[in-house]
Amino acid sequence: MADQEASKINLDNHLLLDQPLLRLPYELLRKNFRSAHFTFEKDSTFVKNLLKETANGSLNGRTTPQDVVKNLDTMLARIRGMKRKLSAYADEETRLHRQVDARVAHLRELSGVHTVDDVKYDAWSRQRLDRLLVDYLLRHGYNASATSLAEERQMVDLVDIDTFVAMSKIRKSLEDRSVQEALAWCNENKKELRRMHSNLEFMLRCQQFIEMRRAGTPAKMAEAIAHAKKYIAPFNDTYTEEVCNMAGLLAHLPDTKQEPYESLYSLERWTKLADVFVEAHNKLLGLPSFPLLHTALSSGLSALKTPACHSSTATSSSRPSHSTSLTTSVCPICSTELNELARNVPYAHHSKSHVEHDLLLLPNGRVYGKDRLEEYAVKAGLPPGQVRDLVTGESFAVDKLKKVFIT
Amino acid sequence: MVGADTDKHTDPKGLQHELDHINNLPQLSAAVSNVDKIIELLTAARERVAGALDPHTASLTMTKLQNPVKVAFETVNVNLKDASQTNKATGKALDKFFPYKPLPADHDAMADHHPLINRAIAMHLLREGQFSVASTFIDDAQSASPYNIEGTPSDGQDEPMDEDDDDAGVEGEADAEASPPVTASSSSDSHDLSSFQSQELQAKFSEMYRVLQELKLRNLVPAIAWARANSAELEARGSNLEFELSKLQYVWLFKGPAVNGLPDDQQNGRAGAMAYARDNFGRFQSRHLPEIQQLASAVVFAPNITGSPYRSVFSTDGAFSEVASSFTREFCSLLGLSAESPLYIAATAGALALPWLIKYTTATKAKGTEWTTANELAFATPLPERMMYHSIFVCPVAKEQTTEDNPPMMIPCGHVLARETVTKLCKGNRFKCPYCPSEGQLKDARLIIL
Repeated sequence: MADQEASKINLDNHLLLDQPLLRLPYELLRKNFRSAHFTFEKDSTFVKNLLKETANGSLNGRTTPQDVVKNLDTMLARIRGMKRKLSAYADEETRLHRQVDARVAHLRELSGVHTVDDVKYDAWSRQRLDRLLVDYLLRHGYNASATSLAEERQMVDLVDIDTFVAMSKIRKSLEDRSVQEALAWCNENKKELRRMHSNLEFMLRCQQFIEMRRAGTPAKMAEAIAHAKKYIAPFNDTYTEEVCNMAGLLAHLPDTKQEPYESLYSLERWTKLADVFVEAHNKLLGLPSFPLLHTALSSGLSALKTPACHSSTATSSSRPSHSTSLTTSVCPICSTELNELARNVPYAHHSKSHVEHDLLLLPNGRVYGKDRLEEYAVKAGLPPGQVRDLVTGESFAVDKLKKVFIT
Repeated sequence: MVGADTDKHTDPKGLQHELDHINNLPQLSAAVSNVDKIIELLTAARERVAGALDPHTASLTMTKLQNPVKVAFETVNVNLKDASQTNKATGKALDKFFPYKPLPADHDAMADHHPLINRAIAMHLLREGQFSVASTFIDDAQSASPYNIEGTPSDGQDEPMDEDDDDAGVEGEADAEASPPVTASSSSDSHDLSSFQSQELQAKFSEMYRVLQELKLRNLVPAIAWARANSAELEARGSNLEFELSKLQYVWLFKGPAVNGLPDDQQNGRAGAMAYARDNFGRFQSRHLPEIQQLASAVVFAPNITGSPYRSVFSTDGAFSEVASSFTREFCSLLGLSAESPLYIAATAGALALPWLIKYTTATKAKGTEWTTANELAFATPLPERMMYHSIFVCPVAKEQTTEDNPPMMIPCGHVLARETVTKLCKGNRFKCPYCPSEGQLKDARLIIL
């Protein structure tokens, strides 16, 4: 058995699911810095320009001392505003650094653990599951559950509630048919979205156009055309087909049965927009596109699954996992929780048999290890020379048993 | 095994060290304090201009103001650059001590099973005793996805469960037992949360936690009551839980008030233990006579039990945690559930198997093979011994695992082969064993259940 090898923890391979744990706060640090820098650039340019203008104006006598004071007040207000914003960014930076520290400390706990049989590993792995659960809950917008689990397990610093709550607000607004929040988000992340060739903003602009066209009043139609000129037509080279479709939409009423216009008018486009937004959001922050729990489960269910887990005959095995009792725990894949979920995943690949020692065949076709049969006979209070089937409960004489050879 | 970069290793310890250093590098807060300088300059200038209000002072002040403000802005800009360097250092540290390895992202095998995952999570939270989180979750999930109902019928092939519990009259049992048992069969018709009997499951698990809590306080009475109420099922499983608990109770009483802290009366101490044995051990006599005799004989050694041959029987050091874990295992098994949370085991196994999956997908990406299409994974995912729950038989000739359609067969000499292998080996009706000189006939090969 390669069990010893399988129990070893190799950090290079064991922390794959935990990458977003550090990647996300790092991305947020960068984003936070970019916002801070943008604020500084904008406000400092404004103040520097106004200062120069005021100085020049004051020199050549066009600006009165009263106006100089007024301009200085404007500058002061602007700078104080900038300071407030920078302080907020600085606080966020401190918070993110603290979060990174807490997360590294959590990962660091695994440094001293070399095998999965270590009790410390158990505690760590449980916490990992809690993290995966919170991630899953947040991605599905179950924010109350996520918060309550994170608080109950005292791991608020290890999960990204704020990020996902902010995301789910925007997603919700799209599902409620409002583009404003999503457009504001696009504006905040303009450069990065452009760099990753996201079509989110274009899609949102199209939706605005569709809604104006849907309203159909002359005023709205005029607005729609102006909107298209400003936000849609410039993308003619990149999204030629979509731009043409938008133009075509002007000739089709909302109740059209003609494709692609029927789909464009469809309210389901909003759900699609929400998905596009979530995808862009996750990509921008370097988050995996589906919950980490899914990744863990699809690999874990397969690794645990055996052909016996969905077979119609109860097998004899269900190996005793703890020596204190010969009764066994139900296999996790056979257990109600996961059985149906695991139905469609492939079962694990094994190249070697894995069976009990000294197998004996009972007359009814069932096979058990000798030790287990003997132990059970004693516990069941059978007379000597008798054994009992652990699954069916039938009793047999020992001399009716046959040895089984597994090669 | 993932990534060929040799000088980069995941090393949280090294990362922590590096970050301790980075935390001392300049951050945005430095810029904030330097903004104050600009405010001071502007405020002073404003006072001067406002105080004099003559064009000459104004233009002079403003001209003089240009350079210091410019310098002050430059300082803030430098602060920002420093902060940006700090960020970059953090990124570098991450790349060095936590090198990025992409996770499989092309295919989400779990994407369509949202309701089933929700149910697994709800059951996990309940079995972990997170009752308030579980109820928040069930509310959240039900209000969020009323349209998400999936109805794949199940075969109902889960462990058969004896349902005629004769537990009437056992204290504290009635409330939990009155509800129908929460087995796969009762919830298999539909897998959404609304059909999922969270109330019953919660009642069951709160009962389990109540009993475990009492066991922690060294009170065996509720556990014994539960075991007695379910003695038929426990016996069918070959579990001795009821006797083990009663035995421990005897030993515990035997130790007397000084050790067990129970009231010093007729029910306690040696006399109490003897009385307990008289009242309770009768029912175990047929199965556990030798052990009962041993317990009774120990009385002779009562003054010096630690120096007697019975000291191991009378040591209670690990006994309580041992019965607590057998209790949990039996309790969950009677519900048709695994003793450890399956979600926990699966997530842990998932983390252990993931590197193999990534290695495989990376290797086959060029060929465009998809890993989920076959019945069986195309690569091995070794798991520790305790995560192997079933016997695995790999036919030594075909090198394939046996399945329901291709079960293991024992041929007359005692060797085991897959049925398809036996059929292929046949010449006419006879075949020769590939592992020993004996020959057999097809009709003599018999199906075995491992």
